[in-house]
Amino acid sequence: MIARREFLKNSLLGICWFAGNSYGLPGQSKKPGSRPKVIVVGFDGMDPVLAEKMMDAGQLPNLDKLRKAGGYSRLGTSNPPQSPVAWANFINGAGPGTHGIFDFIHRDPAKQCQPFYSAAETEAGDGYLEFDTHKIQLDFWPFNHTPTQTFLRRHGVPFWEYLDRAGIPSAFFDLPANYPPSSSSHGHHCCLSGMGTPDMLGTYGTYQHYSEDGPVRTKDEPGGKRSMLFFENETAPAKLVGPVNDFLIKPEPVTVDFEVHRDIAADASLIEIQDHRVLLKKGQWSDWLKIEFELSMPALMPNNNISGICRFYLQEVAPNFRLYVTPINIDPSKPAVTISEPDSFVTEISSSLGLFYTTGFQEDHKALSNRVFSDSEFAEQAEIVLQERIGLLNYAMDNYEDGLLFFYFSSTDLQSHMFYWDTDEKHPSREPSQTAKYFEHVKDIYRKADSIVGDVIKRYGSEATVMVMSDHGFGNFKRQFNVNTWLRDNGYIQPSNCDSIMSDKIDWSATKAYSLGLNGLYINLKGRERDGVVEKDERERLMEELITKLKQVTDVDGKKVIRDVYRTDKVYSGPYVKNAPDLLVGYYRGYRAAWTSILGDIDDDVLSDNKSLWAADHCIDPHEVPGVLFTNRHVLKDDPALIDIAPTILNEFGLETPGTMTGKNIFKD
Amino acid sequence: MEVIAKILILINSVTNVIGSIVFAPIGIMPGWLSNTIISAVAGVLMLLVFKHTSNQTAIGKVRDGIKANMLAIKLYKDSFSVTITSLAKVFKGAVLLLFYSSKPMLIMIVPVVLLLAQMGLWYQFKPISPGRDALVFITLKDQMSPDFSEVSLEPFSGYEVVTGPVRIYSKKQVFWKIRTVESGKHDLNFKVGQQQFHKELVSGDGFERINPKTPAMKWNDVLFYPADKPFSKDSAVQSIEIEYPRRDSLTCGSDSWIFFFFIISIIAALLFKPFLNVKI
Repeated sequence: MIARREFLKNSLLGICWFAGNSYGLPGQSKKPGSRPKVIVVGFDGMDPVLAEKMMDAGQLPNLDKLRKAGGYSRLGTSNPPQSPVAWANFINGAGPGTHGIFDFIHRDPAKQCQPFYSAAETEAGDGYLEFDTHKIQLDFWPFNHTPTQTFLRRHGVPFWEYLDRAGIPSAFFDLPANYPPSSSSHGHHCCLSGMGTPDMLGTYGTYQHYSEDGPVRTKDEPGGKRSMLFFENETAPAKLVGPVNDFLIKPEPVTVDFEVHRDIAADASLIEIQDHRVLLKKGQWSDWLKIEFELSMPALMPNNNISGICRFYLQEVAPNFRLYVTPINIDPSKPAVTISEPDSFVTEISSSLGLFYTTGFQEDHKALSNRVFSDSEFAEQAEIVLQERIGLLNYAMDNYEDGLLFFYFSSTDLQSHMFYWDTDEKHPSREPSQTAKYFEHVKDIYRKADSIVGDVIKRYGSEATVMVMSDHGFGNFKRQFNVNTWLRDNGYIQPSNCDSIMSDKIDWSATKAYSLGLNGLYINLKGRERDGVVEKDERERLMEELITKLKQVTDVDGKKVIRDVYRTDKVYSGPYVKNAPDLLVGYYRGYRAAWTSILGDIDDDVLSDNKSLWAADHCIDPHEVPGVLFTNRHVLKDDPALIDIAPTILNEFGLETPGTMTGKNIFKD
Repeated sequence: MEVIAKILILINSVTNVIGSIVFAPIGIMPGWLSNTIISAVAGVLMLLVFKHTSNQTAIGKVRDGIKANMLAIKLYKDSFSVTITSLAKVFKGAVLLLFYSSKPMLIMIVPVVLLLAQMGLWYQFKPISPGRDALVFITLKDQMSPDFSEVSLEPFSGYEVVTGPVRIYSKKQVFWKIRTVESGKHDLNFKVGQQQFHKELVSGDGFERINPKTPAMKWNDVLFYPADKPFSKDSAVQSIEIEYPRRDSLTCGSDSWIFFFFIISIIAALLFKPFLNVKI
C-alpha cells in the first residue's frame, strides 16, 4: 500500500515535472518566469590566491570582469575547512554547531573513539525470516522487522526549505552533504545528490582493475579492487564485482562474468559483458554500459534485478594487459536507491542526457593514488567528468525559468588535490617538469571554469543574480603532522609505546586526549567518553595547555606548523556543539594532519614528508584557505563567508533571514 | 533444417519485395501511426482469416452453450449440483473453443511471423546517426581458408574506421568500430582472401529498413533476418553483423513495438468482430 502511494506520488510529480518542463513544480504561486532568478555555481576548492594571480595575468577574463565591477571577495570558509562541513555551513546559513558536521570523520564517545562517516549513516536492519540460505524482512505486523536504512546526518533546516514553503522553486545539481537527499515538504524543491552519494557497492567509489600481473585472488585496496587475468588463446574470463546481496543470510557480492578478447597486433580488445560488445583500442574509453545485477531471492520469489552503470578503459593490451573499470555507479535512468528529490528528477535528467556519473566523488583520485592511473590518465578521466558536468549544467540552464538554480563542480577540488603545487619547492613525488605541467593543468581547469561562468553570465547575467563561489581554497601539502604521535610523545596518550588509539595497547585510564579526523582533537572527558578520565574542571586547563604547546610546534627547519588551535566551545554555537571535537587544529599552508593520524594511528615521527600523490589540501587553518565569491552585483559586506550565502539568497527572493541563520546578506553593509 | 532454410529463402524473396513496397510509407510517417495502421489492418485481416478457416457454426454452438451454462450458474446458485455441472460445461466449452481456434492459429502463424519479421526491419533498430560509432563484425567459417590477416574492410567516404580490424581467434570473428560520416545507405565492402563480401550500412535519422545481420544458412536466422540472402555453408564468411542502436519508444521502439502490435491488432479485431460477423 505504501509502495503504491509512493508510486502515485512520484508519478504525479513526474507528470507535473514533464508538463511544466521547468523547475516550477506543483503549487507554484506565480507564473514561471515572473519570480526573481538566482543562480549559484559552486566550484569546490577554487583557490583565491591562484584565481587572483590568473585574473591579474588576464587569464580569467570573465571572472576578472566581475571583480572589476565590484563583485569579488574572498569568502570565509568553515572551521575546519573541509568540504562536508563547508557545504553544510552553506546549506544552513550557520556554523557547524547547527548542522552537527565537524569533520569527514566523527567518533562515537559511547564506544570510545569508534569512527564513522559524518555526513550519512547506514543503520543495519533488525530481524528477518530465514528461508534456507536467504532471509527476508517484513516490516509489518506481526513481524515488524526493521530494514537497513541510510540517514542523512546533517541537522538543522536547509535554506531551500524556506524557499519551498514560500512556493519558490529551487533546483540543485550535485549538491554536496545532502545524501540521502532531504525531502521537499511542499514540492518546489528538486535536488540531485552530490558528494557523499555512494556507488553500487555502497562505497564512495571502488574501481576494478584487471591485469595479467594482478593478484590471483581479487585484492581490495583503498578505493579499488585488483584482479589477475589469464589469457588462453587470447581470451580471458573475468568477473565484475557488484553490489552485496543482502537477501542472503551470509551477504556476499553479486558478480557478473565477462570475457576479454585481445588482438595484440591491433593493440585492441573486445569485451563481452551481458549483451554488450565493447571494442577498444589501447587508450580508449567505452561509453557507459548498463549492467544488470541479479540478486537471488528465496525460493518461489522472483530474483531481484538492479541496474548499475560503468565504463571500461583499456590501458594496455600487451605485454601486460591492463583494464580499468569505473566504480559501478547507480544507474540514473533506473536508480536502485534514491539519489534525487523527487525520485523522478534524476530519471528525467537521464532521459535527456543518457547515463552519467552519479557517485559523489567522480574523479577517480584513488586510482591515481594507487598508481592504477598515470597522471595523464587521471587528467583524462577527470576531463570526462568535467565535460559530462558541463552537459548537465547546460541541461540545467535549458530547463531553468526562475527561482534558484544551484550547480556544483568538483573538478577544481579533486584535480587540485592531485595536481596543485604552487611553489618551486620539490614536489613529494613528481619531477619539477611534471609538477609544472600538471599545475598548468589546474590553471586550465580554472580557465574552463571561467569560460563556464562566461556562458552563465551571457545567458542569465542581465536577468539573474549570479553567484560563483567556492567552499575553500587550496594549499600545498608537503609535510604531515601526526597529532596522535605528538600527543603520545608529550604524555597525553599512554603508554609511550602505543601505536594506535584503536589498538588494545592504549591505556585509556591514563590517556587525556586523542585525535581523530583531519582537524579534530578530543579530550578524554569523564562522563562523556566511555573511558573518560579528565575531570570537567581539569578540561579547561588541559585545553589551554594543549593550545599553547601545539602552537609552538616547529618543523626541522624552524617553520611553525600550526597557525592556531580553536576551542569549539568558543567558535561554535548551536545545539550540536556537544558532539564536536574539543579543539580544532589549524595548520599553516604546506602542512596537514598525517594520513595515519586521521584514523588514530601513531607513527614514529611527529612530522614527516607527505609522499602521496595527493599533494595539495585545504584541511588546515581556515584563514589560510578562504574560498572565492564572484557575483554580478556589488559585494558590500566586508568579510563575506559561506554562511552568508543562504541568507543572501533568501533575501533576494524577499524572504527574511531566519533566526536559525547567523549569516548576513552580502549585498548589504 | 537446411531444407527449411532454403524454403524460407524463397519465401523471403517474395516477402521482401512485398514488404519493401507495402511498408515504404513507414519511412515518412510517425512510428506510432504506422505501427497502429499496420497492426489494425493486420488485426482485421487475421479476423477474416479466422472466420474463413475456423468452424464458425461449431464455435457458435459452443459459445451458446457457455452462455447457457453461465446463466444456469446465476439462476441456480443455490443448487450445488447444477453449479458444479455448469462450471464443468463452461470449462469444457473453453477447451473446445481453444480446439476450434487451433486450426486458424496454425494457418496464421507462418504469415504473422513473416509479417513481424518484415516489421522488425523497420522498428527494431534505428539508423546510425552521422558521427556516431557502430560495431561491425564478421564471423568466419570454422575451418578458415583465408588467413585472418587477409580480412579487411575497404575504405569508403560514407564512414571511417575508428578501430580495427580486431581479430578474435577464439570466436573466429573480426571486429571494426566504424563512424558514419554522412547519411545514406553505404556499402561495407569486406575483402576476405581473394573474395569480396558486401553489407549495407544505413546511416541517418528516422525510420529506415534495416537488416542488422546477413546470416548463416540457419533457418531461424533466415527467418528473423529476412532482408539479406544468407551465406552458404561453405562460404568463407558465415555472417556479417552491424550493431545498430536500439529504438527507444513504447509504440515503435525495440521489442516494445511487437507488444503494441498485438494490443492494437486485438483491439481492432474486437472492434470489427460485430461488423464482420465473426465468432471467436
